[in-house]
Amino acid sequence: MRASAARIAALVRKEFTHLFRDPRSLALVLLLPVVELLLFAWAISFDVREVPTIIWDADGSAASRAYVQQYAAGGFFTVKGSADSYDDIDKAFERGQARVAVVVPAGFQRAQDAGLRADVQVLVDGGEPTSARMGEAYALALNQRYNATSFASWVARTPGASVDAPTTGVLEPRVRTWYNPDRLSSVFLIPGLVVVIIMIVTVQQTAVTIVRERDQHTAEQMLVSPLSHTELVVGKLLPWTVLAFVDMAIVVGLGMGLFELPMRGSWAVLAAGSVLFVFASLAIGLIISSVTPSPETANIAAIMVAFLPSFLLSGFAFPIASMPPVLQAVTYAFPAREMVTISRGVFLKGAGLADVWTELLQLTAYAVVAVGVAVRLYGRRARR
Amino acid sequence: MNGKRLRLLIWKEFLQLRRDPLFLRLAMAMPIIQLVLFGYVVAADVTNLKTAVIDLDRTPASRTIAASFAASDYFNIVARPDGEDALRPLLDRNEIALAIVIPAGTQASLERGEVAGIGIVVDGSDSSTASVGTSYASRVIAGYNALPDAGPGAKASVRVVFNQSLRTVNTMIPGLIATIMMISVLAIMSQAVVKERERGTLEQMFTTPISRGEYLVGKVVPYMVLSGVQALFVATIGTLWFRVPFYGSVWVVLTGLLLFMLTNVGMGLLISLVSRTRQQAQQMMMFVMLPTMILSGFIFPIESMPDAIKPFTAAIPMTHALVVMRGAFVKGAGFDALATPLLALAGFAVAIFGLAVVLMRRRLSE
Amino acid sequence: MTDSPAQQASDAVVASELRRSFGAVKAVDGVSLRVPRGAIFGLLGPDGAGKSTLIRMLATVLAPDSGDATVAGASVTKRPDAVTPRIGYMSQQFCMYPDLTVAENIDFFAVLRGVDKPTRKRRAAELLASMGMAQFTRRAAGRLSGGMKQKLMLTSTLMHSPEILLLDEPTTGVDPVSRREFWTILAELQRAGTTVVVATPYMDEAERCSHVAFMLSGQITHHGTPAELKALIPGVLIEVDAPDPRQALAAASGAPGVRSAHLLGDHVRVLSDADAQAPERLQALLRAQGIEATALAIEPDMEAAFSYLAEAAS
Repeated sequence: MRASAARIAALVRKEFTHLFRDPRSLALVLLLPVVELLLFAWAISFDVREVPTIIWDADGSAASRAYVQQYAAGGFFTVKGSADSYDDIDKAFERGQARVAVVVPAGFQRAQDAGLRADVQVLVDGGEPTSARMGEAYALALNQRYNATSFASWVARTPGASVDAPTTGVLEPRVRTWYNPDRLSSVFLIPGLVVVIIMIVTVQQTAVTIVRERDQHTAEQMLVSPLSHTELVVGKLLPWTVLAFVDMAIVVGLGMGLFELPMRGSWAVLAAGSVLFVFASLAIGLIISSVTPSPETANIAAIMVAFLPSFLLSGFAFPIASMPPVLQAVTYAFPAREMVTISRGVFLKGAGLADVWTELLQLTAYAVVAVGVAVRLYGRRARR
Repeated sequence: MNGKRLRLLIWKEFLQLRRDPLFLRLAMAMPIIQLVLFGYVVAADVTNLKTAVIDLDRTPASRTIAASFAASDYFNIVARPDGEDALRPLLDRNEIALAIVIPAGTQASLERGEVAGIGIVVDGSDSSTASVGTSYASRVIAGYNALPDAGPGAKASVRVVFNQSLRTVNTMIPGLIATIMMISVLAIMSQAVVKERERGTLEQMFTTPISRGEYLVGKVVPYMVLSGVQALFVATIGTLWFRVPFYGSVWVVLTGLLLFMLTNVGMGLLISLVSRTRQQAQQMMMFVMLPTMILSGFIFPIESMPDAIKPFTAAIPMTHALVVMRGAFVKGAGFDALATPLLALAGFAVAIFGLAVVLMRRRLSE
Repeated sequence: MTDSPAQQASDAVVASELRRSFGAVKAVDGVSLRVPRGAIFGLLGPDGAGKSTLIRMLATVLAPDSGDATVAGASVTKRPDAVTPRIGYMSQQFCMYPDLTVAENIDFFAVLRGVDKPTRKRRAAELLASMGMAQFTRRAAGRLSGGMKQKLMLTSTLMHSPEILLLDEPTTGVDPVSRREFWTILAELQRAGTTVVVATPYMDEAERCSHVAFMLSGQITHHGTPAELKALIPGVLIEVDAPDPRQALAAASGAPGVRSAHLLGDHVRVLSDADAQAPERLQALLRAQGIEATALAIEPDMEAAFSYLAEAAS
């Protein structure tokens, strides 16, 4: 037992020595996640706002200007310029300079004064469908508000105006956002980002460990020693587990410090889930290295099997509920999904053991199976 | 440059590629997986949000309001609980994405001509759904509020120009073609020179009459061919499977892709030349690839980014490639409209390649 | 070799009908041999003879397709884990970590082997000193010269004091001085009781072995002590020196009584029928043809034995 621990300790020490003797690699392993975090958390927002808009005001009157002003005031639309023709608008859309165009016809003011509706055109670039939909919605809401106020003031100004319109009240949305009141995208993203970062570390690891042994023929020397396959796998997993945890700590620290990520749940649950998840991911990385014949293939396989699915299918940034049912089922095959649920639950929803025990159980199963397969596979590669 | 030696070098690269069949199979399988993942996951249009409606008013007016939500494509009413305490577990278990709460006394307020508030409860921990859901709800409410056509005001007719179906796939697939090309080219090229340097075959090569230029071209051409085949593959399958319409000019697309490919080849070469081990090359590649995918507007719209970052997005070749691809596919834009991004891509290609050549002269003589 | 059963029991290695193929290539094709305890056993043969494959099977690093071997009393196929603690194995390629120092490499593999700390310190110091590498403990293994790399590997295999050493071409690519030093160390090890099995393509090293086996195309063609093998050479071995060796070779090949002739470096080696006058006659014959040659009888060496036996086998 003691000798076993000594062997594992020697493997861990050696792995760290390799890493520290290659400072460039080390910097990349530690820095990459931090940079990605800052990038993601700061740059990305799902809130669509400041949609570039151009205005073609063919009327040029006080009324039309007041109308146009509504768009600028909302915060959703950002008026970038003006147009004089449909050609102008087409060009702006094609070049991607604007996504919305508002066309106010000549005679706008006259219509208002006469108590009539004027036909306004709102053109929306479908090339950015999400902002297009939201643009549609906000334009309509904006118009409806404008109509309500102008109707009220028209009634007030115009003596003897026919008040056919029923005097009903107006509905107004009151939005309540739970768990993330300021709807900061960063708060939404960071718990999931922790998971993605561990996957990145996994991918890095696969390029390194088993390939190194293979390339340097040291694997044979290990074969003629009492080193067991389990000891070897554990000895390889431990240092990278430490690295993954360091990365995680950096990300969480920065998240809480710079981005005001709250921590409402149990640290213990988070830690437990993280350990299991890290082990499972790294073991998957080892499996990939064992199975692929060359490091280039291992690299691509790691990206495809470990990184991309966890990036896209874990629910980290893209809602699982919006995926087709087939893909939703597929997401269960990747431990990243469970980890994102746990992470987000713990940070934002105050989750404790009772809330996420199914996910923890699944992660445990993953970790056990993955490490088991890694041990078995590496054993098979030896003694050809 | 000697044609025969060049052909020999290219042949050698192909031979080496053939010896690793798993690699080739992965190279072809990877785009398919990415097509599926990006096409179905990232491009998923957020509609049919699972919604709960809580009607605390129980009047004809509140029922009409609830009905207008039910009638909308954007919402899928899955629960009608009696009170708000039922909401938390529903939200926590992700059974609903948002909830509409019609408070008691709504009809009364409306009849008195007052403003009545309708509660929209969203799960902020799912930011994208939350913001989109909120805007949809606003739209339904605006529809309910629409006054009859009497009195002044504006009658806004909203028309969608380009991509009338508003399917996100139609804009995602063109972008994906460029992305997949970038990933594969970078992955392969960044390993290319490093592999030979580690093995020592690099030195051997330069004791032969092969010039550095020939070496460069010989390395690059096979991968360009491979990547071109891959791009065609993706384009065909993507457009056919997802039924993506194409309105533009094939020449524009080909030019854009070719220029973009060159920038990526150059970038991969740069990484390859600067790294001393394969491991470093691979790490650098990820270092370059991730921010590119995030900041180029491929997934996350550039408009939503902080103003401080926006200028930097122009420094990423992929940003311009996306404008070209999306412009050509979705908007039928031609060379004149896309002149700026195309020129930008050309500029990048020249600059990056030039840098790679300069570096190569210096590095390979070490 | 006809040993008594008692001697067999004390053999370090007994291999029986080992076979191993790689695809269509039969690397080892039915090899049986016996290595007595305390021997320096040389496996000789050209490239591709199957020496590496054989050594690796004995080291339990490669599994045989059929056949078995008993190494240090345990079967390599059935109980490899009982074999490995008693052997040291040195591969043909450099098997240390280039970015780790000499000391770190030695320490790492010794820990793997279960050598405890005080023993590690002592053995490492002793071994490195005896190999003349004491001042290189902190140098990165990748930056050692060829000879020192081999010594490093040897040190590592010796740390746990194995009974049997299996060395796969340990001196290939090493300068002659280092080669000699290496063999001095091997001789000392043998004196201390270690059994050494070494594969080598160098004929001069074969002289220093206590037992030798010739290997050709996956099979052992001859084995015995060097003296026994040299005795197999019939006739007289003559070495001819001439200004144009090729010319001399051509002339000597046709001479009467000559069984075979070949070039070894600058000299022509001629195997002639047993005859005390043979060298003078040959010299006279060559001179008569205008070749300024001197011919001398020499003691047969392993190179001659191998050439003769190889030719005889084909």
